[in-house]
Parts: sequence; C-alpha cells; structure tokens
Amino acid sequence: MALLAGACSKTPDATIGDNAPTTATVLPAPRPLPEFALVDESGAAQSRSLFEGEWHLLFFGFTNCPDICPTTLATLTSATKELRQRNAGPVPRIVLVSVDPRTDTPERLGEYIAYFGEGTRGLTGSEDALRELTEPLGVYFREVPLDDGYTVDHSAAVLLINPDGEFHALFSGPHKAENFIHDLPLIVGSS
Amino acid sequence: MIRAIVISAIVLLASGCQGPSGPPVEILDVEVTAPRGGMGMSAGYLSITNNSDALVSITRVASPQYGKIELHESTLVDGVARMRPVESLEIAAGDTVTLERGGKHLMLMQPADSLDNVTLNFYSGDALLVSIETRVGEAG
Repeated sequence: MALLAGACSKTPDATIGDNAPTTATVLPAPRPLPEFALVDESGAAQSRSLFEGEWHLLFFGFTNCPDICPTTLATLTSATKELRQRNAGPVPRIVLVSVDPRTDTPERLGEYIAYFGEGTRGLTGSEDALRELTEPLGVYFREVPLDDGYTVDHSAAVLLINPDGEFHALFSGPHKAENFIHDLPLIVGSS
Repeated sequence: MIRAIVISAIVLLASGCQGPSGPPVEILDVEVTAPRGGMGMSAGYLSITNNSDALVSITRVASPQYGKIELHESTLVDGVARMRPVESLEIAAGDTVTLERGGKHLMLMQPADSLDNVTLNFYSGDALLVSIETRVGEAG
C-alpha cells in the first residue's frame, strides 16, 4: 500500500539545526488539492476554495474513535494554542475530515469538533465524495466489520495545506505537540 | 489535562496469591475521558500491576455507569491507524501492563446521562479481581 508516497521527500536540510523542520516532510513542489464537494459541520457545501487564504492542518478520523482521533485533535489544539500565545506567525486552522460517512452527519461532527477549540472545522459527505479528496492525496480509509459493529482504519498523517489550497507538507504519526510547535513556524515562515 | 485518581479500590483476588509488595492486583494512573459532544464513547487509560505470584488474565471490564466496556488496542502500521478488540489482558507475575493513548485502552460505551464518579470492575472470567472508583476527567 502506498500512502502519501512518491511526491514527498524531506527537504535537503530538514534535519540540520533548529532552523529546519525536524518532523514534517515538506513537498518539493506543493500539490494543488483535488476538486471535491463535501459539507462542513453546519451542512454548508464546501469545495477546494475552503482552504484558500489561510493555512490548514488536515486530519482524517471519525467521531466514534475513542483513542487516536481525539488524541491527535487534542495534540493539534494544544500546539496551535501554544503557537498563538507565542505570536509565531500565521497559525493553521484545524480541519477534521470524517472517514465514517455512515455515522458522521454534519450535526454530529459539529458537536464533536466543538471540543477542540473555536475555529476547528469539520468536513463530511458520501464515501464517493470523500474519496474524491482522499485518493489523489494517497489518504487511506476502510470500514472494517467487527462482531458488534464496525471500525474504520485510516491514515494517521496530518497534512499541512497552504493558503493557495495546496498540499504543502506532511506530519506522520504518532504525533507530538512539540513537533508541530517546532516545525510549523519554520514552514509557514519560509513560504 | 485532568488526570482522574483512583478514589477507592477493592481487591478481591485470593489473598493466598499475594506477593511481597502490596495488593495482588494494583490499578494506578487512571484516566477516564469524558464523552465528547454527545458521542456514545470515550476511553480509559491506566496501569495494572500484578503483584501476585501467578499469571493474571483480565477478560472483562464492566461498570454500572456504562452499558458496555471493551478492551481495545490501537496500532499504527505503515501510517495507518487501526483499532481492534482485545480478548484479554495477560499480566505475568510481577509485571505491569499499561493502557495508554495509541495502545491498549478501555473503550467505554453507552454512558449514563450523568457521569462524575464511575466504578470499573475488572474480571477474570466470572471472578471479580478488583474494583476501582474514579472520577471522569477530560482527555488531554
């Protein structure tokens, strides 16, 4: 399985000193997001233009996930709060893209993301509509039946989207707030 | 982060198995997260130490405050996050098993309308091994 592969590579000086990202993989050439048609937590239609004009951190998860998803979102919330307190330049907005279209209605998504700070956004839609966004990005998700229901396997990566609506950098899991606090100002500040 | 504490613990493992240090089964560092935004589930994290001289197998966790509790394990393999049920927790004599974020954890489902203090009962088969009472906190 190729996940977010090929186009990503570390910048040449990515591991040198305090002035280079230590965790993120920065794309040599940012890639425009694919066209997609999803709805946000209020039920409003959203497309690629949602990402224009502001940096975003994109995470793919679902509301019935009790461990990795809330832990990742809490990590992103903690990191962005710290960056705002440091006045460390533009701070990306967090977006949760649901990979559980069967359960995650806009209303449910809205209730969930409200726990992760003002400004956090949610996107959901039909499975086909979600795959229009995920597949070109190499983001994997698959519903897996269990004895008494189902779960969803999904990519753990966090994608950094730049204000031109382009896939700019990738953070692989497991995630730590200090990695985002260190790398984000360097990436955003150099772009 | 609010880390819940064990308010009380009742240890019911046969005292004849008790080792030299403390109760036979000891549960520490408990954190029970609150359900978010009306979601029907949350997680429990803790450590379980087997101070006895025999293997302890925890096969079930139950609570009056939750309709269902399952043992689960999250894994991250080739960049993909997965969560699967775990049949039991096997704790060798003298060992500690830690339930933590991104690893083994309790999945707490069907919560009562009002959650403050909750009781968690740990079983091996039908035998109740240990019972703890703790407060529900918020995930960090």
